[in-house]
Amino acid sequence: MSALLRRGLLDRHRALIVWALSIGLTGAFFMLVWPSIDDSISQALDSYPESVKEAFGITTLSNAEQYLNAELFSFILPFALAIFALRTVASAIDGAQERGHLDVLLSAPVSRRRLVAATFAAVAIELAIILLASWALTCLGSLVAGADLDAGLAAAGYANVWPLAIFAAGIAMLVTGVSQHAGAVTGVAAGAIVAMYVLDLLGRLSDSIEPFRWLSAFRYYGTAAVDGIDPLAFAGLTAAGLLLAAIGALLFERRDLAG
Amino acid sequence: MPTIETERLTKRYDNHRGIEDVTATVETGEVFGLLGPNGAGKTTLIRTLLDLLHPTSGSARLFGLDSRRDSVAIRARLGNLPGDFSYGPPSLTGREILTLFAQLRGVRGLGNAEQLAGRFRADLDRPIGQLSRGNRQKIGLLQALFHDPELLIFDEPTSGLDPLMQEEFLALVTELRERGKTVLLSSHDLDEAERVCNRVGLIRDGRLITVERVADMVGRSYRHVTLAFAEPVDAAEFAALPGVSDVASKDGQLIFKATGDLDPIVKAAARHAVRDMQLTHPTLEEVFLTYYTDPEARR
Repeated sequence: MSALLRRGLLDRHRALIVWALSIGLTGAFFMLVWPSIDDSISQALDSYPESVKEAFGITTLSNAEQYLNAELFSFILPFALAIFALRTVASAIDGAQERGHLDVLLSAPVSRRRLVAATFAAVAIELAIILLASWALTCLGSLVAGADLDAGLAAAGYANVWPLAIFAAGIAMLVTGVSQHAGAVTGVAAGAIVAMYVLDLLGRLSDSIEPFRWLSAFRYYGTAAVDGIDPLAFAGLTAAGLLLAAIGALLFERRDLAG
Repeated sequence: MPTIETERLTKRYDNHRGIEDVTATVETGEVFGLLGPNGAGKTTLIRTLLDLLHPTSGSARLFGLDSRRDSVAIRARLGNLPGDFSYGPPSLTGREILTLFAQLRGVRGLGNAEQLAGRFRADLDRPIGQLSRGNRQKIGLLQALFHDPELLIFDEPTSGLDPLMQEEFLALVTELRERGKTVLLSSHDLDEAERVCNRVGLIRDGRLITVERVADMVGRSYRHVTLAFAEPVDAAEFAALPGVSDVASKDGQLIFKATGDLDPIVKAAARHAVRDMQLTHPTLEEVFLTYYTDPEARR
């Protein structure tokens, strides 16, 4: 598996740098502006209805971690990395199949299970690299601007996105098990992530929908940049992602490769 | 033991035909040609052997191993070149591709890739995205051959290669045969198959119509004969010869079809002053026509 894993990481290193810089600089930007909007944004938040604040998991904005949680970790980052993860899976398997590359690769003594494992491992490592680099750039931004960001809580916020993105990759792998088209994999998996987000959001607002929140991965996401990581939710989401990928691998073994 | 055995191998798709009841063997050390027009089912058969497609019914064994259950072990012993080779992102060089496949196959170094690259004038250090189709195909050829496998599967391998490289490829296949390697060569070019194959299988509409020695197949079908004489010649003289049909006279030339022994034709022509003589093999479609219209040939 190591040869496939290494090749996958090398092949996508440019995209990895772009993603890490984009997200890291976004985090750094938030830290650079935080000291100048600290007071005004807290006042603005006070004017929002309590239900809306609760729905988005933002009750106060009195420090840099809470601001980062509201601006980056509650919406932008989980969606961005979920899209990154599911697109990487779709491109590495069904995309490669559409380009005719899998016919070549799977003429070598490589099992489909091994291909899935290498793809999944590469996605997991790439996510970790993006998050680590983004955390470092965000901390640098805080240092430059004097935003007084708690590096430990920021690390928890970034790390907490990893299992959610792994779960998105698991959904993509599951769809790959039955679909021969990268576009369909991306569309269905992205749709599932959006649907889960909406379900969780509505569940927070409506008592009638709340009992179904357990179906959403966002139910277990939490606010790690403020409260720290929930180890059970972290492990559970990761395990669910791995389980979906394992089922996807079994289905992938049983289906034809499109020519 | 045959290297490849299929027993009523069938692959059906939801929306189009694949292959139907293909039963065949490819002996070890044999170059077996799989001939058929585009869309006949050649690639489907190859992809089913490689476990890229799963059979609807029937079975295939390679090296005595089940094509589905033992697929990874089978693929360790073969090399495959698809019709239009491409692999990885455009920035990847041939050398990087071969290095990856060497690692996947557990081969130290690049095997005989350097020697083959020199022979086929393949540039291993240019990104594959900058290579023409023919030059990409050379990298694919190296990928199939560098580890010196027991079985080579070539699916329309010469498409995109220039005539010189096509010649070199056919010479290589002959060498592989002499070294006892088994080759499954899919093609729609009868001349190509005739030059290197021991036996050929004709496949059309997903069905294997016949398997026989290529010389027998060509010999059984007609050839186009054109004879140009210095003086006008009576067409009836040639029309009366055994195996001659469709005789036409045009501009001092006799044009006809001939099957079987050519000796009577040559002797009849020798009685006149011959300016030119051309003998053309039938196209693959014409060979197929023979098998559709001649019950003797189908037997």
